Amino acid sequence: MTLRADHVAGAAFVLFGALVLALSGDLPTGQLSMPGSGFLPKIVATLTIVFGLALMVRARESSPFSEVPWSDGKHAIMVTVVTAAGIYFYTVLGFLITMIAMILALLVIVERRNPLRAVAYGAAIVLFTYVCFAYMLKTPLPEFGY
Amino acid sequence: MESTLISLMHGFGVAFQLDNLWYAFLGCLVGTLVGVLPGIGPLSGISILLPVTFGLNATQAVIMLAGIYYGSQYGGSTTSILMRIPGEASSVMTCIDGNAMAKKGRAGAALCIAAVGSWVAGTFGVIMLTMVAPPLATIALKFGPPEYTALLVLGLIFLAYMSSSSLVRTLLMACIGLLLGMVGIDNMTGHFRYSFDLAELGDGIGIVPVAVGLFGLGEILSTPSHKVVGEVISPKLRELLPNRREWRESIMPIARGSVLGFIIGIIPGSAHIISSFLSYALERRVSKHPEEFGKGAVAGVAGPESANNSASTGAFVPMLALGIPTGPITAVLIGALMVHGVNAGPQLVTEHPDVFWGFVASMYVGNLMLLALNLPLVGLFVTVLRIPYAYLYPLIIMFCIVGVYEVSHSIVDVWIMLIMGVLGYALRKFAFDPAPLVLGLVIAPLLEQSLRQSLIMSNGDYLIFFSRPISLGLLIVCAILLALSALTLVLKQKDWRTKLAEAEAGEELAS
Repeated sequence: MTLRADHVAGAAFVLFGALVLALSGDLPTGQLSMPGSGFLPKIVATLTIVFGLALMVRARESSPFSEVPWSDGKHAIMVTVVTAAGIYFYTVLGFLITMIAMILALLVIVERRNPLRAVAYGAAIVLFTYVCFAYMLKTPLPEFGY
Repeated sequence: MESTLISLMHGFGVAFQLDNLWYAFLGCLVGTLVGVLPGIGPLSGISILLPVTFGLNATQAVIMLAGIYYGSQYGGSTTSILMRIPGEASSVMTCIDGNAMAKKGRAGAALCIAAVGSWVAGTFGVIMLTMVAPPLATIALKFGPPEYTALLVLGLIFLAYMSSSSLVRTLLMACIGLLLGMVGIDNMTGHFRYSFDLAELGDGIGIVPVAVGLFGLGEILSTPSHKVVGEVISPKLRELLPNRREWRESIMPIARGSVLGFIIGIIPGSAHIISSFLSYALERRVSKHPEEFGKGAVAGVAGPESANNSASTGAFVPMLALGIPTGPITAVLIGALMVHGVNAGPQLVTEHPDVFWGFVASMYVGNLMLLALNLPLVGLFVTVLRIPYAYLYPLIIMFCIVGVYEVSHSIVDVWIMLIMGVLGYALRKFAFDPAPLVLGLVIAPLLEQSLRQSLIMSNGDYLIFFSRPISLGLLIVCAILLALSALTLVLKQKDWRTKLAEAEAGEELAS
C-alpha cells in the first residue's frame, strides 16, 4: 500500500484529537442541563478524530506522500530559525539591534545578497520604522535591556 | 427607508470629519499597497496594523481597517495585470485576461476597467449594505442563544460547502480552530483549559497571532524568493483610458459581477475569492465569444474585479448586523471592534450609530478615494513592484513581529505566531485551507457560550433547537447542505465546486 499524503495528515489529526482528549481528563464534562468546561472540547476533539479517520480512509484520492514537494523546505527552516532568534532576542536586545540583525541574517545568510547593501537596507528600514512607531504613532518599541 | 436616509446623512457627517477622512485615506492607501504586494494579503495587513489603531477611537479604527480590506481588492488587480502574479488571492482570475490585455498593449485599459468596475461594484455593495443591514439587525434582535448556535453551526457548514477543498478537510480545520479557541479560562466555570500554567494563555489564544502566523508568515515560509519573479509591464498614463468597444464590453460584466459578488459576500466563506472565480465562470458561460477568454477578454477582467469588491462589502452585512464573522478578515475586524469596546451585532446600530453609520458612509467616500488613487498612482505601484521579493519579505516578517507584540506586549503571542507560521506552511503542503481554522477560532467562544446557554435554558433538552422556528429553519439548511455534499460522495460525481476548481487549475496551467 502506498503511503499517501492524507494518511499522514489524517494520522496527525487523529493523534492531535487523542492528545486533546487526554489533556481534558480533569475537565468536568458536566451534565446536559449544565454543561461543564470539558463538554465542548471533548466533543470537538472526538469530531477531529472522526474526521481524521475519514481522511485516512479516503486517502487514495490524495497524492503519494513521496510526491509532496519539499524543495522549499530548506528556505522555510532557515527563515524559521532566523525568525525564532529574532523573537528570542526582541525583548532582550531591543527592537533596533534585533531587527537589524534579523534582516541582515535573512538577506545575507538566507538570500545570499551583498552584505554591504543588506546592512544599508536593514539599517535604513529599521530606523525609519522606529521613527514611525515611536514618534508618529506614539507606540513605544522594546529598548535594549527591556 | 426615510429613517435609513436620515441615519446615512448623519453617517456622512461623521465620515466627512477631517480625521475620519484621513484614516479612510490611510486605510485605502495601505490597502492598495497590501493588495499590490504579493505575499501579504489584507488579512495580514489588517492584523499587523491592528495595534496601530489602539490610539484611535472605534469609528476611526474600523474605517481604517475596513479601508485596508476593500482597498486591497483594488490593489490586487494591479499586480495581476502588470506582472501576472496575483497580488491578492481574489485577483487570481484577473491574472489570466488582465495580463493578456497588458501584453497586447492594453495594460492601461485593463487597469482602468478594473478600477472603475471595482468602484461601481463597491458603491453598489455599500448601497445594498445600507438597505439590508439595519432591517437584518432588527430581525436579529429576536435571536436567542439557540438561534445563535444554529446560525454559527450553519456558518461553519456553509463555509465547508462553499470551499473548493473537501468537506472533511474544511471541517477538520474548523475543529482545530474551535479547539484553539477554547484555550484559556472558561467564562462560565472559571476552569483553566489547556493553558499549561502559562498566565498569557489564560486569556486564550488571540486571533492576531494566529492570523498573522498562518497567512503572513506561512506564506513567506512557502515562497522562496526565486519563485517570485516577473516582468513588470509599465503602462503609460496616456494609454489609461479604454476605447469605446472596451467600455461597452465591460458594462454588463460589471453589473453582473456587482450583484453576484454581493450575494456571495453575505454567505460565510472566503467570499471575495469565491466570487471572482464564479464571476469568471459566469462571464465565460454567457459570453458570445467564449474563445476570447484567456486571451484578453475585457469581461474576464471586469466581472471578477467587480465581484470581489462587491463581495468584500457584502461580507460586512452579517458582520455588522449579526456580529457573525463570515471569514477570517471579518473575524479580525470584529476582534478590532471588541478591542475598542464595541460589540458587532444587532445592537451596534442602536447603541453605536456613529460607528455603524460613520463606517457605512466612509465606504462611499473610500471607494471614491480608491478610484482616484489607483490610476494616477500606477507609476508608484510599478516602482514598488520592482523591489525584489528577497528584500520585501524580511520587512514583512519584521512588521509581523512588531505588530503581534504590540497587541498585548506579550512575547508568548509572537511565539504563537511563529508556531502558526510553521503550521500554515505544513497545511499548505498537505493542501489544507487555513481560513476555516481562523473562523473556528473566532466563533468558538460564541458557539460554546450560546450552546451552553441554550442547554441551560432547556434544562438539557436538545429539542430547544428544533422547537424554535428560526433555529429550526437554520438547522434544516445545514441538513440540506450536508445532504448535498454527501450526495456527491455517494454518486461519486464531481460537484460544481470541484469542477470549478479543476477548471481554474487547468486554465492556470495552460496559460
